[in-house]
Amino acid sequence: MNLVADIQKSIESNLDRSSFYIAGVDYSYHKLAEIISGIRESIQKSVSNDEINIGLVCNDDIYTYASIIALWMEGKAYVPLNPEFPISRNNTIIKQANIGTVLDSSAKKVFEETNTIQTKGLTRSKINLIPKETTQGDLAYIFFTSGTTGTPKGVPITFGNLSSFIDAFWDLGYTIAKDDRCLQMFELTFDLSVMSYLAPILKGACVYTIPKDEIKYSYIFELMEDHELTFALMVPSILHYVRPYFDEIDCPNMKFSLFCGEALPLDVTEEWSKCVPNATIANVYGPTECTIFCTDYTYKREEKNKAYNGVLTIGSDMKNTTTIIVDEDYNEVPFGEKGELCLSGTQLTPGYWKNEEKNKETFFIKEYKGRPTRFYRTGDLCTVDHEGDILYLGRVDFQAKIQGFRVELSEIEFHTKASLHKMNVVAVAFVNKIKNTEIGLVIESDAFDVKQLLEDLKTKLPQYMIPTQIKFIDSFPLNTNGKTDRKKLKEMFT
Amino acid sequence: METSLVKEKVSNVLVSVLEHNNFEMHDELTAKDVDGWDSLSHMMIITKIEEHFGIKFKLRDLNKLKNMGSLINVIQSKI
Repeated sequence: MNLVADIQKSIESNLDRSSFYIAGVDYSYHKLAEIISGIRESIQKSVSNDEINIGLVCNDDIYTYASIIALWMEGKAYVPLNPEFPISRNNTIIKQANIGTVLDSSAKKVFEETNTIQTKGLTRSKINLIPKETTQGDLAYIFFTSGTTGTPKGVPITFGNLSSFIDAFWDLGYTIAKDDRCLQMFELTFDLSVMSYLAPILKGACVYTIPKDEIKYSYIFELMEDHELTFALMVPSILHYVRPYFDEIDCPNMKFSLFCGEALPLDVTEEWSKCVPNATIANVYGPTECTIFCTDYTYKREEKNKAYNGVLTIGSDMKNTTTIIVDEDYNEVPFGEKGELCLSGTQLTPGYWKNEEKNKETFFIKEYKGRPTRFYRTGDLCTVDHEGDILYLGRVDFQAKIQGFRVELSEIEFHTKASLHKMNVVAVAFVNKIKNTEIGLVIESDAFDVKQLLEDLKTKLPQYMIPTQIKFIDSFPLNTNGKTDRKKLKEMFT
Repeated sequence: METSLVKEKVSNVLVSVLEHNNFEMHDELTAKDVDGWDSLSHMMIITKIEEHFGIKFKLRDLNKLKNMGSLINVIQSKI
């Protein structure tokens, strides 16, 4: 498969159809092609051939999406930069990924120190969608996720990885055709966005996005009903938000309703299935490191579904992925026993961007079916049954998921300690009343005004990583191993 | 109910959920202007407002809540 050539073919054969619906405006594939061509022309003029990693300011507009396709057609990789994230975080990413050029559709450019191509208004009536040659090993994107030491870590994904994902995705049989209307609810800094725009584009379908100034979850459901969406990949936290309104939702046109990014509770899924009476519901799973998602389970409407602690199974390996569950010494555990889920296959990233230390910690080579195979440790505690369905039990480390975003609690602790000078702090992830995960912070100190602390954190961390509740305690409780009892501290929050 | 009374009650809800009062109530006030008013706390604020006024928003009502003025209007249309 040549992914970028497939994009070209799809756009060229669907020029008169809608490609994107953004903030109330329909854009045809023809319009998309003109903008891509305009942006390519600009890239060719001002970016040298050996400059591969290009920053992309993520706005919700046609120019931002066209920029991604333009970069790929020019054989370049995009590194998404959220303009709402603290400038220091974005600058760290720009530095780490050696970004010299940023594509920006904002009215006023966001980054002053890089070469910025302002993409808004770029268009060219002479369409050029012929891709430059790329190899499977060339990078398609680098996404930065929360890192333990206070520095975000980069996950590079190659065109080979992405092609493997697309190949495995079509193999699931969750079809998209040119008449389909597909939801794209994710920030472009989150890799579930890639599947949400790429799969529809490859089939000439239409992508529906969420304007940044709208209340996400309520807007999604208005889109679903008013535009009769047929395909939606969402994070489960969206369901928690709208659960009180399920009886108002009726989307008989929905054909495929996929969930990813967080544990999917069985009871909510059952209730949701009535809102999308004709849809196939699926729970898919995977870390950014294994390209978007790599295991799949189709929810059964009439039969019993597999679940653990009320959490629906994440199913079994997709076509191009092999999963194993191992103990601390990387030995596979027997069926039914707990262990860390590890992934291998052609969707797996070549390794963290310029981070050998982290690579040694996270990737390992193991003899598997007679061949040395490279595996990635997910940090997810799982067990697998005889049918190959994997049940998610929890995390083995201190990572949390907030609205689908991966958060290293230690990164929050790191920046809190930096702001508070030597005070002892613990960040915990707890489940609130509507069953969404929030971040709580416990400070070992007498109570004080946290306004300054919160202001400091906001200059370092994205909004979803800012603690929503802060408590004080004289001294941290210890567990039997003499370690800070995080479980007890977690109980302080409800 | 008088607008000023509705405003006062909404203000009290905000203070109780967000645990601060660093905001001024005016019609153009939006969530962006208020510390801690994000998608997480938004749902809690909505639920508390429903309890306080004994009303129930429709999912579609939520999309109309562009600022404080529209929130007050929607509440008044329901009580």
